[in-house]
Amino acid sequence: MSRFRPTGVWGFILRRLLLGIVVLILVSILVFLATQALPGDPARAILGREANPASLAALRRQLHLDQPVFQQYLTWVTGLLHGNLGRSLEAQEPVSTLIGSKLVNSAVLVALAAVLSIPLSIAIGAWSAFKREKAFDQASSNLLLALAALPEFVVALVLVILFATTVFHVLPAISTVPPGSRPWNNWVALILPVLTLMIAVAPYVARIMRASMIEVLESDYVEMARLKGLPERTVLIRHALPNALGPVFQVIALNLAYLAGGIIVVEFVFNYSGIGGAITEAVVNHDLPVIQALAMLIAALYVVLNLLADVATILVTPKLRTRL
Amino acid sequence: MSQLSSDWVADAQIAPPLPAVHGTSLLRRSLKLWRTRIGLALVGFIVLVAIIGPYLAPYGPNTPVGAPNSDPSSKAVLGTDYLGQDVLSRVLYGGRSILVMAVLATALALVAGVAIGLVAAYSRNALDDTLMRGMDVLMALPSILLALVAVAIVGPHAWVIVVAIALTTTPRIARVARGAAQPIVERDFIAASEAMGVPRWRILSGELLPNTLGPLMVEASLRLTYSIALIAALAYLGLSPNPNGANWGTMINQNQLVLAVQPWGAATPIIVIALLTLGTGLIGDGIARTAAGIDRARGEE
Amino acid sequence: MTDVSRRQLLAGAAGLAAVGGLAAACGSGSSPASSGSATAAAGTPKRGGNFRLGVTGGGSKDIMDGQNIITKPDQARLVSAFETLLLFDENYQLTTNGLAESVTQDNPKQYTIKLRQGIEFQNGKTMTADDVIYSFQRIGTQKNGLTGYAATATMDIGAMKKLDQYTVRLPLKTPDSTVPQTLGSYTFTIVPTGYQAYPHPQIGTGAYKLKSFTPGQQSVHERNPNYWRTGEPYFDTVTITDFSNSTAQVNGLLGGQIDAMTDLPASQVKVVQARGMGALVSKTGGWIPICMAIDMPPFDDVRVRQAMRLIVDRKGLLEQVFSGYGFVGNDLYAPFDPGYDHSLPQREQDIEQAKSLLKAAGHANLAVDLHTTNGAAGMVETATVFANQAQAAGVKINVLNDPNYYGNQYLKLAFSVDFWGTRAYLNQVQQGSLPSSPYNETHWPPKSGTGSNFESLYNQALAETDATKRIAIMHEMQQAEYNVGGYIIPCFGGLIDGYAANVKGLKPSKGTLNLDSFGHGYRTIWFS
Repeated sequence: MSRFRPTGVWGFILRRLLLGIVVLILVSILVFLATQALPGDPARAILGREANPASLAALRRQLHLDQPVFQQYLTWVTGLLHGNLGRSLEAQEPVSTLIGSKLVNSAVLVALAAVLSIPLSIAIGAWSAFKREKAFDQASSNLLLALAALPEFVVALVLVILFATTVFHVLPAISTVPPGSRPWNNWVALILPVLTLMIAVAPYVARIMRASMIEVLESDYVEMARLKGLPERTVLIRHALPNALGPVFQVIALNLAYLAGGIIVVEFVFNYSGIGGAITEAVVNHDLPVIQALAMLIAALYVVLNLLADVATILVTPKLRTRL
Repeated sequence: MSQLSSDWVADAQIAPPLPAVHGTSLLRRSLKLWRTRIGLALVGFIVLVAIIGPYLAPYGPNTPVGAPNSDPSSKAVLGTDYLGQDVLSRVLYGGRSILVMAVLATALALVAGVAIGLVAAYSRNALDDTLMRGMDVLMALPSILLALVAVAIVGPHAWVIVVAIALTTTPRIARVARGAAQPIVERDFIAASEAMGVPRWRILSGELLPNTLGPLMVEASLRLTYSIALIAALAYLGLSPNPNGANWGTMINQNQLVLAVQPWGAATPIIVIALLTLGTGLIGDGIARTAAGIDRARGEE
Repeated sequence: MTDVSRRQLLAGAAGLAAVGGLAAACGSGSSPASSGSATAAAGTPKRGGNFRLGVTGGGSKDIMDGQNIITKPDQARLVSAFETLLLFDENYQLTTNGLAESVTQDNPKQYTIKLRQGIEFQNGKTMTADDVIYSFQRIGTQKNGLTGYAATATMDIGAMKKLDQYTVRLPLKTPDSTVPQTLGSYTFTIVPTGYQAYPHPQIGTGAYKLKSFTPGQQSVHERNPNYWRTGEPYFDTVTITDFSNSTAQVNGLLGGQIDAMTDLPASQVKVVQARGMGALVSKTGGWIPICMAIDMPPFDDVRVRQAMRLIVDRKGLLEQVFSGYGFVGNDLYAPFDPGYDHSLPQREQDIEQAKSLLKAAGHANLAVDLHTTNGAAGMVETATVFANQAQAAGVKINVLNDPNYYGNQYLKLAFSVDFWGTRAYLNQVQQGSLPSSPYNETHWPPKSGTGSNFESLYNQALAETDATKRIAIMHEMQQAEYNVGGYIIPCFGGLIDGYAANVKGLKPSKGTLNLDSFGHGYRTIWFS
């Protein structure tokens, strides 16, 4: 515990935090500038047949299109920070209203996937390390490698083919959440999307757990515990496991961050009413405010989770020093 | 998409870094493993299908050969799709446009990434920091999100997709290039060259570049297959330059509705992409294991 | 003219031959004879249940207006609460099953409408002549922009007179034989005086009252306990949900989340039937045309239009897009109208002729954009297949699928795909083939040459009381459209809808709307 200087760790966290904020600002500029390159007139695109000089002018004022670019950017960013995510062009409603329930839906999916997959992958990784090079280890390693290689939409569709449409017909192929209801009202429909996300995350966590566990099992610390005559189970669970978890947190955070992008395709496959589906729909509809808001949301999530990952690494690294 | 499968090899935080062994020798060594060979065979096969498929197809990609969604028959070995077109022919035609875009994107990323990575490694100062932070910003958005935003603004034109994919691939290549160049930059003969007055760009191209080519080629080929899967995913979401043409991703989208009736229309392209990415995963794993083995051997010396 | 009885009214003498056939009028209450196609055994209607319908094509621009629609969800909602004076049956025949007891033509320029007595609106107020006059006035006011406006051109709404509490006199500015069809068209409904569209209260005479509505998502409609047809309706509530695509809809039906859906893709008919559910296949007169604007290049050259019509392989398109459900078209609409010109030879694909026409017009290697959207089943696929077929003639068509199609450049495009429902010939002309039409994609008629007298021919046909003479005029109009028109109508793809096994009472219909006019406003269907 006295190995690191608290100021060093906090200093690191502070630096990474600042870096994260800078990155977010740059991303916001990137997203905003990109959307400013729209060919054509957004006001005309919205009004369509009802466009006349008066209504065009009014709409331009409403969308702040008459202001200089920099000012539009500031308006947008301050709005974001106050929770005002803009107004959807397609629905003519605040983005926050539109995505409120969708955010919940996506969160449920990711939370379920995380809660179910992480203990499972830790267990698999630990057991593989314990029974190293034996049958279970070989089999699980290869299976996890295969699953890690496949893109999510392939995994999702293979699951659909296996369980919903072609081989067996036991699960629904689509998991739409009707307006007004909650994901858990139709929990059967959540099985396949959650399974897909679990498969996306589990291999990496299991792999790192295995590697970390192997290192810990070979450490002097564990040797000592064994020499003390402790039963193998106690050694495994009380001494090896906690120390092996260190690098796993980082990977978990990285994977959760990765899921932020992964749900885009998975929600499309299952027609799930979450923010992944919302951003794809917004892209097809050229609904720029929604795209901007959701892109920033996902990017922010990604950055925050990556930050947590880095912080976790630093915080737990000393614990890996099991060499006496 | 399993972007982490390639980071598996290159990212120092998760897996061991590539040893400072000449890259091609690493590849050669890894070929001793059965998994690398199988992986290479799979990838090679699918890429071959993508390239010469159109010459082997029994029908054109848009020729109606039967009633929509009919079962496999002697006329159409894998049945017909939602418009009555031959599934097999469309699969054979469906890889080309994806492959072309992926190759262009990877080539672009290779040029940009190598330049940035080498310059950063060589500078070892504020320039290094700035460049790498810039790369971090690009990596701050999930790849598919970046591509989606780009397409949303400009439209699903081929060049937009190529540039977007290149933008997400460049930072990763830059990282590998920089990682591979750093140990070399520390070496004495670089300092000696500098002292002798050899111009910087010469050092970059003459000394650094050849030594980093090995790991770069490995990374680039992994990135290529990853880009193929990403472009197919974009097409699956409905964002491809030619929605009417045969394209693995678009085919999955068009035929997903009829999986219960005629699975081959969607299942075949799914299988193709699955084999491609499995192959990539096997190659990556083979290389990682070889590298780990080399490290372990080194450690025991 | 003598006051004809209700029975004679709908026969030929009063000049209503424009209706599909000369069926005798039927009494009110029970539904008319079916077309004879097989339907599930109906059994005795039972009360109860929440009928859940899934419709695609809507969005946040959903409206609820008794006299206006833009998309199919709007249609589904309209029929739940609002009714018309006359009703079309499944054979697209006009009946006096609606709000009117009788509609008689006193002379070519005057109709008398006699309302059924004792019908109340959903707020308890009795429907009277005042409401009818208000309804007509509302449709007839141009700035309201309602779908029925074009049909009121011949009506002298300002001079409408209330003869007594239940009788209205409708004078016409010029003779118009299509008035009864107009009175049966589903957006020409009777609303209470002072009525306005959502978000104002939606009060009609229909079987269900609007309870809640979130545009783009869902609406809930409650049974009207005071509904004027005794015994009907059967459901307690009707829930209409917007779906963004048919995949979700089909899976909703198969998974039991909805009880019926509109526009079931042809490929899913087998799947649905295998699960014991029903596919309602209706051979309607609905059509998906490829529209060429006759005043915009390159289609301002008639040879290009003729060439395009020769390129299409009609049978092939019917097979590819609609899996054979439906029948081949001949670039003319209103196939069920007795005035449809069957003598015009069926156009066949002729690539060589098409190529030579294009060459003569100087467009040997034509390249055009074709705009389409997912407004109705088959629109995008029609564009795709046509583009493929056009390659054989050296024509390169670039299909542009625009989700904002109906907002952006609709009606201003040179080359586009659109969708229409069943209509009688003259009514269709009024909706889409006149300069004053609300949806004239082809910008027909031409200003000179063949077809330039189209509008005057139309007015003559409206005024013509003799059926044979009127049909002759309609033939002349169709000949012009056949030779130099802007529509490519490859086929009439059937309407296919899906429904759960326990939904009874649906019958295939030739009419304009899906699901047998949504179960006639959800009142002739029930759960078993």
